[in-house]
Amino acid sequence: MQLGRSLFTGLLGLTLTGAAAYADDTVKIGVIQPLTGSVAYNGTTDVNGIKLALSEINAKGGVLGKKVELVVEDGQCQPANSVNAAEKLIQRDKVVGLIGAFCSSATLAIMPVAQSNKIPFITGVSSAPSLTEKGNPWFFRATETDALLAKSFAGILVHQLKLKKVAYIGVNDDFGRGSVEEFEKQMTALGATTVMKEYFEHGTTDFYTLLTKLKASGADGAFVSAETQDGSTFVKQKAELGLDTKVFGVGSWATADFMKLAGTAANGIYAAVPYASTMKTPKNDAFVKAYEEQYKVAPGKYSAAGYNTLHILVDAIARAGSTDPDKVREALHKTNYEGPNGHFEFDDKGQATGFTVVLVQLENGVPNVTASNTIEH
Amino acid sequence: MDLFFQLLANGLVTGTFYALSALGLTLVFGLMRVVNFAHGELYVIGGLLGWALTAVLGWNYFLTLFVVILALGVGGYLIDQVLIARVRGQGEEPTILLTIGLSIFIANTALLIVGTTPVTVASPFASKPLFLGPVVITQARLMLVAVCAVLIAGANLLIQKTTLGRAMRATFQDAMAAQLVGIRTAHIYGITFALGAMLAGAAGMLLGSIYVVEPTIGGVISLKAFVVVILGGMGSFAGAIVGGLILGIAEALWGGYVATGYVDAIGFALVILTLLVRPYGLFSKRAERA
Repeated sequence: MQLGRSLFTGLLGLTLTGAAAYADDTVKIGVIQPLTGSVAYNGTTDVNGIKLALSEINAKGGVLGKKVELVVEDGQCQPANSVNAAEKLIQRDKVVGLIGAFCSSATLAIMPVAQSNKIPFITGVSSAPSLTEKGNPWFFRATETDALLAKSFAGILVHQLKLKKVAYIGVNDDFGRGSVEEFEKQMTALGATTVMKEYFEHGTTDFYTLLTKLKASGADGAFVSAETQDGSTFVKQKAELGLDTKVFGVGSWATADFMKLAGTAANGIYAAVPYASTMKTPKNDAFVKAYEEQYKVAPGKYSAAGYNTLHILVDAIARAGSTDPDKVREALHKTNYEGPNGHFEFDDKGQATGFTVVLVQLENGVPNVTASNTIEH
Repeated sequence: MDLFFQLLANGLVTGTFYALSALGLTLVFGLMRVVNFAHGELYVIGGLLGWALTAVLGWNYFLTLFVVILALGVGGYLIDQVLIARVRGQGEEPTILLTIGLSIFIANTALLIVGTTPVTVASPFASKPLFLGPVVITQARLMLVAVCAVLIAGANLLIQKTTLGRAMRATFQDAMAAQLVGIRTAHIYGITFALGAMLAGAAGMLLGSIYVVEPTIGGVISLKAFVVVILGGMGSFAGAIVGGLILGIAEALWGGYVATGYVDAIGFALVILTLLVRPYGLFSKRAERA
């Protein structure tokens, strides 16, 4: 009986939301993130950030007098699935804006769909520099590119950490290859020599071969681009082999889960990230507190990315005064948003500038900020 | 030369792990002719259960290993009796579809319960480096290789030397004749699948203590296990061990001397080569059903 009743209430709830959608009582935002597959963990963290922003926005009464509603789809970081998700969100759910799609290749596939349907599309993660060079007026990137990050930190790596012989190691996808190429270019220009350049697959469990090669290469520093799972396994096994090569990482390195997985092996590791929970900005304390309250873990790079993207999009809708796509796009170009990791505005190409990226050193589970840099064009 | 020895040692260790992960698959295929696509997911269940009991509840490692093996045994028996029994004797395709469905079901259920965060099993063994001449290895890995060897030897003894093992082999050779001499074949199928699940679960729990486990890695595990099984010959114990070692060493040497980026392709290149030269695998006795 109890079951029957809750089932009935559930169905009633469903019908009501259905009806609400037709009555246009909510502002619908589509989210495409990988919720299954090899980067599912990272995609879920991003969605957690988005949901935190959603509850803040709706607690303040939503936007345009309506509640904001999320429709989350699993793009699996695959171009084909992400396009299907985008088509579904636009055609069936009638969303007024899109957030996604994590992997640059998946984001790239959605960009023409957003353009032909005139839907503003923001990514907080995809970092391949070419995305904002496509001349797509509906696309905005609220994060750094590999090139901008490399430009910010190559100098610090070469001059302060004194890396002369560098080994470059990256995950074998557009993100890994892109960041390895950019950092190699910038650091070589500053006088570092490349002694090794290797890639590994997502979900690699055993890095002993790669580490054996790293040891033999005689590098005094290793640049590693990887996400939480692969990166933590890498540093753990590096400690197992007794290697004391300095490691400098990009990707989701300064997250609580990374340090939990890697344990003491994470001590001393450097990471360049657009967000760390220890950043000292006016907005960050409140963000970290709210996030920890909701998810019992400190926010990481992707939590902040998700959080920022929804705030930026809803803020633009509020300033546009309507959900008319052209007006929202205009408003996005005039973005002046203050996030946990600094200030965001967009240039003509839709690339965000003004926010802060930091170099952190991990020590006993805490990412200590050792240098920070503002992304300028 | 030091590089070579280290790579060889790495390859032997991962090879042993590959062999253990593939053993359950080859056993179920060899004895039951069931291609178990849910093999990787059984591994994941073992790893996640191991994590939940050691890291969350703080249980002893070996007690947990015992509980994991027991749980997977019971689970495997039930999967066979409740699901696979329904499509038994209808050829290989229905069981393939069934196990693919099962793998999707298990992976997504695990995703729902545990979430996407990667986890590790708490291990009592030190992960500090041990220097053996030019080769570096950890205590945890050495222990695991030993435990793997014990499990592999134990499973082999069970099948070759015990009455139960003889009943299993008899059922595989001729189910009708086995029934005529009084073997309860339905029961034997269940136990065989249970044994396969136990080996998969044990592999998940053991390897989960040095690598990470997450609900979605089952596919990769299955894929590598298939490579090992095809290399060594479907259903052959010795084949799984040799296949695992070949794969481990080939990957280590290719990664060490050529490039690590395409190391996963090596396994499949070996598979294609095996299928061209010895389609039944290195060790298979061309076992055909009577």
